[in-house]
This record gives sequence, structure tokens and C-alpha cells, in this order.
Amino acid sequence: MKSQPGLAMASSQETSTSMKSCAKLVFQTSALLLVLVAFQPVIFASVDDAQAFALQAAEPYVKQGFQVREDYWGGDLGSGEKKAVRQQLFKGNEYWFWLGTEVDKAKVSVHVYDSDGKLAEEPDGWEKGHFAGAHVIPKATGSYFIIVSVEESPEDRTHWALVYGFR
Amino acid sequence: MIPLTRYLKLGVGVFCALALCAGAAQAPQHINIKQLSTRVEDVVVPLPNEIFGALNKLGTVNWKQHVRSDKGPNFTERPRIALLLGTVIADGFIAVQAEDADTVKDIGQRVLALAKGIGVGNSITPHAKAIVEAADKRNWENVRRELDRTQNSVQQAMNEVHDEKLSQLVSLGGWLRGTEVLTSVVKEHFSSDGAELLHQPDLLSYFQTRLQAMPEFNLPIIRQIQDALVEVKPLIDVGDRRIPPESVKKVNEITTRLGHGIVTRD
Repeated sequence: MKSQPGLAMASSQETSTSMKSCAKLVFQTSALLLVLVAFQPVIFASVDDAQAFALQAAEPYVKQGFQVREDYWGGDLGSGEKKAVRQQLFKGNEYWFWLGTEVDKAKVSVHVYDSDGKLAEEPDGWEKGHFAGAHVIPKATGSYFIIVSVEESPEDRTHWALVYGFR
Repeated sequence: MIPLTRYLKLGVGVFCALALCAGAAQAPQHINIKQLSTRVEDVVVPLPNEIFGALNKLGTVNWKQHVRSDKGPNFTERPRIALLLGTVIADGFIAVQAEDADTVKDIGQRVLALAKGIGVGNSITPHAKAIVEAADKRNWENVRRELDRTQNSVQQAMNEVHDEKLSQLVSLGGWLRGTEVLTSVVKEHFSSDGAELLHQPDLLSYFQTRLQAMPEFNLPIIRQIQDALVEVKPLIDVGDRRIPPESVKKVNEITTRLGHGIVTRD
């Protein structure tokens, strides 16, 4: 029985093509993995990372008796964008709100207003690059608005997280 | 020659100016909340101990009389378990205020059993253990933190499996129990500052909106809570006016009735 060279050749070509595809796939996957490893902090950065920074800002206040809530707000904002979050505060308590982002060249701010839109924070609030804090001793029990802002950032979108503590 | 004191004054002035520059940038004194171009996020529901902390500052509270440790029935309906779970976590905070270690430990176990009942037991096991350990050492700060973590872990686990509505019921259960105790304390020793702690209209609206979006939870207790919130709203949504003793008493009656409904089988 004669061999069928055409068929054999086709088969060999298929094998060769398949091997080339396989090598190409391995190469592409490796390259992708390398890129992922190299840019891992940027690609996988998340609101959780931002939360870790917000909690870092809160750390010194825990020693002063502030109970930091496990719950937090988070998201991402472009440079110059703001977000308002609403929070029920109780007269008699003292609150600190801490904002953080993992983008260390970003500048963020946080300010607190009462339900009439009047600035309600104490003058000892601060902004230090990718951290900010606002201190409130509510004059009345009710809803307050916490305005978070990414003032500047080298990233298109900057993750942020806001945590708060009270005593 | 400039005297040393003048140098010092100048130095202090420069330091203060620099400190101000390094501090917060000047924020506008007033903003128009209604015209905020940004979307306003939902409220974070305060923990019961946030309210209890404020209440404590108004005078001594006999927390022991509010401690509740009865185990209650075992429900099979998940919304009922979620409501009860929130209530039991709030009971944990009350037991911490009362520094009642035995009740705290019972509550730790009860929370774990309820969490298992809605399929999120795994995320709670370490916290339940930590609650018991901290209660044994009478480390109340750690118990508070673990109760907060417990609630947070339960809700995160629920959100991960898209059970956000159950997660909201946990918050609601805690808020109702907290409000029941708050009104009970203020009713006994009335003060305007104590009554003002009830001024939470946005929180109440938040719960109303959430309950309206749960038509699938067609249970008597859910309908009772919905009706009750309609009753409570005008009593606490008083603007700049003070909340009178009668309103506190009425809210206490309503929340006590609901609290009984949450822990009792229909």
C-alpha cells in the first residue's frame, strides 16, 4: 500500500503548525505572566489596598481610645473628582474619618458637613499626600456628609477607602 | 541686633504657618448638599455600641437590666435568622456594656449557630472563638472589636454570595434592638440629649427603602417591621424640634413589640 505523501505531509505540517502554536502560546503566556508580575502592584491594586492605607492612618488614634469600625466605604475616582457619603453621627461621641489610597503620589482630602451643608469638622483635620483625616465632634445627632476627593493623582482612576472611628 | 525672644517668636510664627500649610487645605465653609454633583453613597448603619457610647456619656446606665441571654427558637427561614442574628450581636454589645462575661460567651456560641443556619458559619468560627477568649480575660475592648468583625464578616460573606438583602436584615435587627434599649434607658431617665440620639430619619428611610425591595420575603415579621417604621418616622423626624418623652415612650413600645416578634416563633 502506497503511502499517501500528501496526507503525511499535511499531517507533518499540522504537527509542525501545532508545535509552533504551542510554543507561541507558551511564549505569549510567559510574556503575559512576566508583565503581570512586573506590573502586579498596579494591576491588582484594589480598594482593599486603599483600605489598608486608611487603617494605617487610623492606627495612632486607636491608642487614644478610638474604636475603628470594620465597615468602610471605597471606590475609585479620577483626579479632581469628589464623592459624598452619608453617615449618622451621635452627639456625645467624637469621630475621626481617615481616607487613604495606595497611589503614593496622589493627594486626597476629606471634609465633613452637616445636613445643612455647613462645615462641621474641627480645625485639626489634616492632609498628608495619600492620607487625610477629618475630626468631628457633632453638635447635633443626625446625618452628616463626608466629602472625599482625589485632588491629584498620576493614575486615571485612584482607589480610595474611608474608615472611621469613634470614642 | 534682634533680641533672642524676637527670633523665637518669629520662629514660632513661621513654624505655625508651615504647620497650617502641611495641614488641611481650606475647605469651603458651606456647600449646597442638594446640588452635589457626586452620587451620595448609602449610609453605613452605626453599630449599637456607637449609640450606647453616646448614651453612657449622659449618665450612668444600668446595663445589667438590659442583658438578654435566652437562646430563643431555631428558625428555618433565612430572613428570620438574619434578623435574629443582628439582634443577638446587639445583645452581645449590651452584655459587654454590662461586663457580663458568661452572657458574652453564650452569645458568641449563639452567633456561630445562627451564622451556620444561613450558611456563613465558616467566616464566623474564628471570631466566635476570639469572643469567648476575650470574655474569659474580661478584655472588653477585644470583645467589642470581635463583635464588630463578626457582623462585618457575616455581611461580607452574605454579599459575596449575593445575599445582600439578608445582610441588610442583619443590620436592621441590630438597629431595632439598639433602638429598643436606647428608648428604654431614655424613657426611665428622660433628657433632651438622650432623646436626641433617636434623631435618625435618614437611617430609618434607608431601612424602609431596603424593606420595600424585599417582596420575596413575605413573612409576617417583615410586614410588621415595615408598618412599624411608618409609625416611628414622624416621631423621630422632627427637624430642629426636640423629641418629647411621649415619642420616646411610643418608639420604645413599638421596638419592644418588634423585638419580641423577632425572637418568637409566629
